Amino acid sequence: MRTHWLGVALASSLVALGLAACGSDASSGGSGGITISIWNGYTQTEAKAFAHLVSVYNKAHPGTTVSSLYVNNDNTLQKVLTAVRGGSPPDIAYLYGSWAPNVAQIPQVVNLTKVVQGPGVSWPDFWVGERDVATVNGKVIGIPALVDNLAVVYNKTLFAQAGLKPPSPDWTWQQFVADAAKLTNPAKKQFGTAYVTPGTEDTVWHWEALLWEAGGQILKPGNKQAAFDSPAGLQALTTLRDMAITDHSMYLDPTDNAYTNVFNSGKIGMLVTGPWDLSVFPNVHYGVQVMPSFPGTSGGHQTISGPDNWVIFNNGATHVSAAEKFLLWLTAPAQVKYFSLATGDLPTRRSVETAPGFLQQMNKSLPGVDTFITNLGNVRQARPQTPTYPKVSQILGNMIVSVLLGKSQPQAALAGAAQQVNQALASTNG
Amino acid sequence: MTAPAALLRRRRTESAPARAGRRRPAASEQFAGWAFVTPGALIILVFGAVPIVWSAVMSFQRNNLLTGNTPYVGLRNYRAMVHDPVVAQAVQHTLVYTALFVPGAMIAGLFLAVAMNRKIRFISLYRTAAYATMAISTISEAVVFIWLFDPSYGVVNYFLSLLGIPQQQFLNSPSQALYVIVIMTIWGWTGFSVVIYLAALQGVPQMLLDAAAVDGAGPWTTFRRVTLPLLSPASLFLAVWLTINALQLFDEVYLSTQGGPLNATTVLVYYVYEQAFINFNFGYASAIAYFLFLIILVVTAVQFRAGRRFTHYRS
Amino acid sequence: MTAPAQAMPRRRFRLPFSPWHLVLVPATLVLIFPFVWLAVTSVETLPEALHFPPILTPHTIRFANYPDALHAAPFGRFFLNSTVVAVTTVLCNLVLCSLAGYAFARLRFLGRGALFAVIMATLMVPFQVTMIPQFIITKWLGIHVLAGVGINHLGALILPNAATAFGIFFLRQFFKTLPVEYEESARVDGASRLKVLWRIVLPLSAPALATLAALTFLDSWNNFLWPLIAVTSTSQMTLPLGLATFQGAHATEWTLLMAANVMSLAPMLLIFFAAQRYFIRSVAATGLAGT
Repeated sequence: MRTHWLGVALASSLVALGLAACGSDASSGGSGGITISIWNGYTQTEAKAFAHLVSVYNKAHPGTTVSSLYVNNDNTLQKVLTAVRGGSPPDIAYLYGSWAPNVAQIPQVVNLTKVVQGPGVSWPDFWVGERDVATVNGKVIGIPALVDNLAVVYNKTLFAQAGLKPPSPDWTWQQFVADAAKLTNPAKKQFGTAYVTPGTEDTVWHWEALLWEAGGQILKPGNKQAAFDSPAGLQALTTLRDMAITDHSMYLDPTDNAYTNVFNSGKIGMLVTGPWDLSVFPNVHYGVQVMPSFPGTSGGHQTISGPDNWVIFNNGATHVSAAEKFLLWLTAPAQVKYFSLATGDLPTRRSVETAPGFLQQMNKSLPGVDTFITNLGNVRQARPQTPTYPKVSQILGNMIVSVLLGKSQPQAALAGAAQQVNQALASTNG
Repeated sequence: MTAPAALLRRRRTESAPARAGRRRPAASEQFAGWAFVTPGALIILVFGAVPIVWSAVMSFQRNNLLTGNTPYVGLRNYRAMVHDPVVAQAVQHTLVYTALFVPGAMIAGLFLAVAMNRKIRFISLYRTAAYATMAISTISEAVVFIWLFDPSYGVVNYFLSLLGIPQQQFLNSPSQALYVIVIMTIWGWTGFSVVIYLAALQGVPQMLLDAAAVDGAGPWTTFRRVTLPLLSPASLFLAVWLTINALQLFDEVYLSTQGGPLNATTVLVYYVYEQAFINFNFGYASAIAYFLFLIILVVTAVQFRAGRRFTHYRS
Repeated sequence: MTAPAQAMPRRRFRLPFSPWHLVLVPATLVLIFPFVWLAVTSVETLPEALHFPPILTPHTIRFANYPDALHAAPFGRFFLNSTVVAVTTVLCNLVLCSLAGYAFARLRFLGRGALFAVIMATLMVPFQVTMIPQFIITKWLGIHVLAGVGINHLGALILPNAATAFGIFFLRQFFKTLPVEYEESARVDGASRLKVLWRIVLPLSAPALATLAALTFLDSWNNFLWPLIAVTSTSQMTLPLGLATFQGAHATEWTLLMAANVMSLAPMLLIFFAAQRYFIRSVAATGLAGT
């Protein structure tokens, strides 16, 4: 009896091994065509829209099959680096723009500088922030896949309840702080605003927006010295600190996860966030406004953007040219327009933004996104495109979190962080 | 006539090695030993040992994982490690975490296993519930615990407020965040301890327990004098296994605090990940991983040594 | 001396059920609490799921999350892949770890201690560091040894875990607790060591083997990092990779993700529930009765 059971088990495991052994290998294309793999992190509506585009392209180009593989964007770097070191990179991968300065050092990354100057591509049609992030040391290493920016999403109902006027396009940080204080109600566990405090780049880039609005800079030209320990930096940091420590109007989220649901539950008055969050606020009557400004500075209502890139890896000349062909088609105005309308993502091309009726159509399916789109005009610069930026980011992250938690004073924190950054940048030999 | 004599002779030689302990094992035993071990060991060595040697090599290189250019830099990575304040913090956090987590998970598991080692109604459901805590995805576990411990909206602060205790910052507080992770992971691993101890409890012969009862021992004394010693191999296993895992804590930190606030939950493996995939400093990350490897090796060896004295194998 | 301490007729408050339930019920509630959240979220509508603190008593129940989750990605395929990988891994482990565990527990051979130490050592280096060499080795094996165990094949998910240090260590500990007399007398009677393992030791080890099977299955079913690295086409994805398709970098489809989670958990829990009875060894099987 036992033997019989074991026999069945062994037989089934052999069958299983057999199945496993002839696992399908999708990298060999059908009937002589080539297959190019494209790794991306699209989910939900983005995934559907992307799949549609891919199938349209595949049908129109019988010699090529584009094969899409889902990888969560946060995990893509590990997977890509392992594949690169193992000699099997994908043909195309979606990579965060913040990785660009380092990704550019991978030998297999294809230099697209000539390709994007080609006929019909119209490289300047992409927003300047995107082009800055796709270019490292004069070399274009990617084609923009996504663009976004930070603006203020506010709860209209809470504003009305507090008897406050909603933010106007020329509002200042002073008004933001005052509004946040008035919107805070400890009895109802309601906060005027929120800030994420894991200490990662998400913590940092929110503050960098304020730094730029205050007229400051992150690093001095040359990217070897800190420039943020300036009056502008102090003003930016003190503004946040006042809300967190003095007014207690700031909900601190160390997990970078809960704050959207808290806002959606009607417990936060204003959020500095991006267009990707609009679809997770179904329960809130929200409005969108540009970033406030610091009066008397050159910063204006400038904002920060976090574009991402499609990067091509060299798997041989045929694969590279097929990948380039697909990417240029994917990022052509017609497809960009389709994708934006289908998903609510901001258009990566200016010509698409100015197309008649586009803004209204976008706003109909995703209210408030038109402000984010026009806000793209407020993106004037990008974060330092240097491979050492991750180190700078960690130091700045700790600085901001320690001030928000009340562990240090802004002036001292800035000075300490600047010293650490200068040390870190000096000790790097390329 | 000869048969019993032959049997006697064989019996003596068979048990002689067990008694003397020094006689060289027969060639057939050597062969059998290696034959039995080879298939499994081969797989583990190919997929486990080779990567470890590889990583050791990488720890002596400057390697950013981007280019194939990985020059040897000798001990530079290790020297940098000694001067890196975050490494010292990470070591401290890792050790504190392990010291709290391992006993916590073992005791909780032992208690529940003893409770579940009986045939009462619904016992299958109780046991499945314990097992289920291991099956749950880490992201779900993280979401629930982040909610439970939220300073403003969490259930724990609510109960504390009923007891008159002021609002705690938990994951927002550099001094408390690590303990929240301890609690979260004890919850996640208790089921594992339960399952292991349940299996081990089956090896406790009812005979011995009955004999102890006859001798007048109360339940607690029986447990301490009879059951616990018989469970000692399982306890050693759990202590070693949980320690090895605790020293390599990563997922829960990655999914909740990302090493913060202010590096309060940065444990060694999280720092390895940070150095490798955020700072592109893979050589340095390998060196830190090796340092951790040595720590785990030493701790495990100590546990086995201590275990030899305290574990009771019935043979 | 012979009469056991018979309870004097004492007035005892007797509960209609075992008092252990009073311990186990609260303990179980603490243990399953996150599952309550999981299950509730899986039948909520998205607007109610996007709440903090989470709503545990939703106004609208939506069972359609389950079919929606199944259709969002080829879950049938992911389920099949996960099953093939997990079942094969468990069977391989039961065989290979029994052999190796027995050797480490009972047989003496040159280099035994060192080999065991090396095997244990493989547990001590984090995956972030070993994944690249492991990728390269797997790729090499796929090209030079057997295509089915190379990158993007299910064999690549099975082979590295076909024997685990965990399994070997666990069974070694367990085998050492068995009384060696049975094995010795069998050897005296002329049984080969393999037969001793097969006929004597393994039957006595049913709880340990069942435990190893359950834990190995769980580990394989939930394994995420290695499949993430080793799988490069959707048709070879396993369930955890499939579940990840609900988690975007910015927004997670909580309702569908939790529905998919429930469907992923169910087989594991059912298997455990079924395997449970092997955890309790019957007295007859141990041969201890009458000793």
